[in-house]
Parts: sequence; C-alpha cells; structure tokens
Amino acid sequence: MKVLEKSFYSKASMYSFFVVMILFFSMWIGTGQFTKVDYMLFGYMVASFIFFIGMTVRITAWTMRPATHEIIKRSIQNMKNRNRQKRNTKAIAKTLFDNIILQKYIFKRGIYRGIQHWLIAWGCIGSLAITFGLTFGWMHFRLVDATTYQMVVFGIPSISMHPDGLLASLVFEGLNITATMLLIGVIMAIVRRIKNHDLQVTQRPEFDLLPLYILLAMTATGLFLTISYKLLGGWMHPQLQLLHQITTVLFLVYFPFGKLFHLPIRPMAISVPMNYQEEPGVDTKKCLGCGELYSNDDQIADVQTILGKQAFDFQTKDGHQLSDYCTGCRRKIRVMSQLNMNSPLGEAAGPVQTNNGIHLPGFGRGRSEAFYDNRVKEERK
Amino acid sequence: MKKVMYLEFERCIGCRACQAACRECGGHDMKERNYVEYIDFTESRQTFPMLCMQCKDPACAKVCPANAIQITEEGVVLSAMEEKCIGCRNCTFGCPFGIPKFDFEENKMYKCDMCYDRTKHEIAPMCASVCPSDAIRFIDHEEMMELRRKRTQMNLIEGKKPSENDKWQYVPEFFGVYSD
Repeated sequence: MKVLEKSFYSKASMYSFFVVMILFFSMWIGTGQFTKVDYMLFGYMVASFIFFIGMTVRITAWTMRPATHEIIKRSIQNMKNRNRQKRNTKAIAKTLFDNIILQKYIFKRGIYRGIQHWLIAWGCIGSLAITFGLTFGWMHFRLVDATTYQMVVFGIPSISMHPDGLLASLVFEGLNITATMLLIGVIMAIVRRIKNHDLQVTQRPEFDLLPLYILLAMTATGLFLTISYKLLGGWMHPQLQLLHQITTVLFLVYFPFGKLFHLPIRPMAISVPMNYQEEPGVDTKKCLGCGELYSNDDQIADVQTILGKQAFDFQTKDGHQLSDYCTGCRRKIRVMSQLNMNSPLGEAAGPVQTNNGIHLPGFGRGRSEAFYDNRVKEERK
Repeated sequence: MKKVMYLEFERCIGCRACQAACRECGGHDMKERNYVEYIDFTESRQTFPMLCMQCKDPACAKVCPANAIQITEEGVVLSAMEEKCIGCRNCTFGCPFGIPKFDFEENKMYKCDMCYDRTKHEIAPMCASVCPSDAIRFIDHEEMMELRRKRTQMNLIEGKKPSENDKWQYVPEFFGVYSD
C-alpha cells in the first residue's frame, strides 16, 4: 500500500482513483459493455462521478485527523477481537436501528424535528440510491413479454412483475415517493429555520439554509416533471427536464462539501457503545481527585493519545494527565491554581491550606525561597 | 471587537444569577452552560463562576472525531454541530478546564458560546449582564488592562505570564473575543 501511495500525489487522490475505477467497471458490467447507457441521464452520470470523488476526498481528509484516526483504529481493533464479538454485534445492531433507521435521538430533541429529519434523510438516501442505480446502469428494466416486465441488475435478470401490479407501480413511482418525503421534510425544515428564533443565534444562511433551498429546487422541479407528463400532457417537459437536471447536478456536486456531508459521519456513532460506553450513562473509570465514576479507561487512553499527537501538554505536577480527573475536579484544579491554593490535589478529603504565612490567605502566591534569602543577605550588608 | 470577558473569582457571592440568565439565552434550550461551584465546601463558602475560555486552539475541537466543534471568525468556540456530534464525549475529557456538558437524552454536547448573538454585536453575554458583584464582566480591553495592572500590584497571579506549555495552570488574563 505504501509503495502504491507513492505513485499518487496524496492519499485522497489514490482513493479517488480506485473509486472511479470501481464505478467505471461496475458501469461497464451493468450496461453490458456500454450498450445500454441511457443518454438522457448523461449529465446526472458526470455529476455522480464528481459526487463520489468529492465524497472520497472529504472522507479521506476527515479520517486523517488524529482524533478520527484514533477512534477508527480502536474500532477496527475491537472488531477483530473475538472476545468482543457479542458486544460488537449488539452495538452495531442497536446503533443502526435506533440512530440511523429510526433516528430516535432526533425525535427526543422534538417530534417536529424528528419527523422533518427522518423524511429528509430517508428521502435523500432513497433518491440517491435510485439515481445512482439508474445513472450508472447498475439496473435497468426489460420487457420480457406483453405482460411481464423484468428488472435486470448488473446484467443478471432478477424480479419480474406485471406492469400494472402493485410492485411495479411502487418501483416506477420510487423517485416520486422519496421526492414527496423530501419535499415535506424540506418545507418543514425551512419553516422551522425561519420561525424559530433560538436557531438564528448560530445559524449561517450559506451553510444551514442553502442546502435546504437546493433540495427544495431539486424536489420541486422533479415532482413538477411528473405533474407535467401525467396531468399536463407533457407541457414544457424537455425544458423542465433540463431544469431538473441542472438542480440535481448542483445538489450532487454540492453534497460532499456542505452541511449534508454529515451523512457519512453518522455511522461512526457505532464506535461509542462498541469502544467506550457500553450502556448509555454508565461509567467505569474513577476520577483521580474525587473518586467518582466519570469515564472509561479506553476512552481516556484515546483522548490522551489524541492530545499527545497534537502537542497538547496537559500533564499535572504529579505526572498524571488532566483528563484523569473528572470535569468538576478539573474546574477546581484551575481555580485552586489561580487562587494559589493548589494543595489539596490527591487528597480531596483533607482541609485546604490557604494560609501560606506570608500573604493574605487565599489570594497570594508565595515567593521562592531564594527571594527571601537574598533579602536577608542584603540586610546583612 | 475590543471587548473581553473578565472573571474575578473572589468577587463571586454564589447567587447563581448567571446560571439563571444563561438558561434564558437564545438557543440554550433552558439549560445552563456555565458553572457556579464551591472552591472547597469544607473550608469556606467561597464560590467561583466558570465559563468557557474560548481557546484560540481549543483542545475540545481537536479531540472531536466528528470535527463537529466550530470556531467562528470572531473566535467564539461553538457547541458541537448537532448534525455531526456522535455523542462520544471526547470533548468533555479533552477540555483542560472541564467546560463542555453532555446531554445523554438528546445525545449531544453543549457548551458556553458566549451568547454569540449578543457578543457579536458587543452586547454583554447574559451571565455578565446580570452578575451583581462584577465577578463576571464584559469590558473594554483597555479597562481590563487597567484592572489587571492593579491586580498585579496586589501580587495576584494574573500578573504572571504563563510559558508556552503551562497555560492551563493560569486563568487567561482575559479571554473571549480577541482582536490583537
């Protein structure tokens, strides 16, 4: 791998190269040596390639950060560890179901937010899946006989259906269903962003609102295409098609570089129950100062490695790290240090020695012995 | 911006008005993000207020595996972006001052953001605007320097310059929104 890496400018360009190669060959197989390429989708295809390259570059850059690298390293270690298989499976299943499929934690932040995000998220993922499936030619449809329609996935004939059946209509209306979900979610989100004053404290229009407007433009033009050919007899269809293509290309190219990039970050939530806190809210490591449980050994070890890698020196006088203390003790250490009362570290039970015999108790700091020695010498002269 | 936050711990009377005010701030969702704690309850009833130092090179952001903690152009370190925060609590362990708080229910971290919507218009943050004993102040840089010189004459530790690697041992002489 190292040798291979040297023939590229960077890790990101190497992985992008591989991703493009894989996509290209999957397209080659899916479209039967490019005989069944849908040229109507050409713009989408180019944008999808850019989408994948952008995602690869961003994910590579993100995983190279020391903090991300450390957590991923430990996750891989734990995945390989046979003794932890039960915990790993449980963590993955639970996070996948609660955090990604149902998104329970967002519902806890508010029902409205939960519904809104769930609709946008699954509308987006569904639309993306259908778009990529069709543009890269991974699947296409074939008429077997007058009443049988068949889906061909990677050149392999799979499920067949009656063109008027329920399954067929679900498949054909797939994008309309996901787009409707998206439209409802996006309108809810825009209303919330405009109405909720609390959000406006840290909201940035170009970061928080722009993706919503792009999504709105894309879904609205896409759904209007359906309205055009179903209800309006194909009114303005070629122009609308072009408009939808432009907005979708905009979305696909924007996706890896804006707020929507949180999509590939979320699955890392698996590493929390897998590596760190098995049960939410249950800690196993004791604070050095007060003895209360505040964390777990693995996590503190990781935090210390990450800090060390980035040249943060948080070593206390007794050779421990600040992260060996709980947050409350850390705040106390800080204040004790400022008020010149940092004696009680290590034995929290003992009384604080605030009177150092020289200054007013509490707020002064003793001078070094050399200072007083010098004064004695001066007086003797 | 020329205004800075200035804390004097020994002025704190423990009324917790700053915490009540913090809860009321926009976007804080009725949860306080600052602390008022006893220095040592067995010794005295002296309390101290504590809020985020808004580090220039924040350890919390550097230990965040999701890259969720952002710094505004004014230098304010914001709470983890809700869409990115994976709820690992690394920030609470990385911070040398023990500032970030974690909400297990909603699975997100939240921390003092210096009432960003107020301070970016040079209005004092909620805590500083209600503190009755001036333990928390939001003042001009010049005024802070004046106060600091006075404290140095009183041989208080703020007069001493920390070296490169032991900054955390000292309260920053001033913090918040820097202009240099």
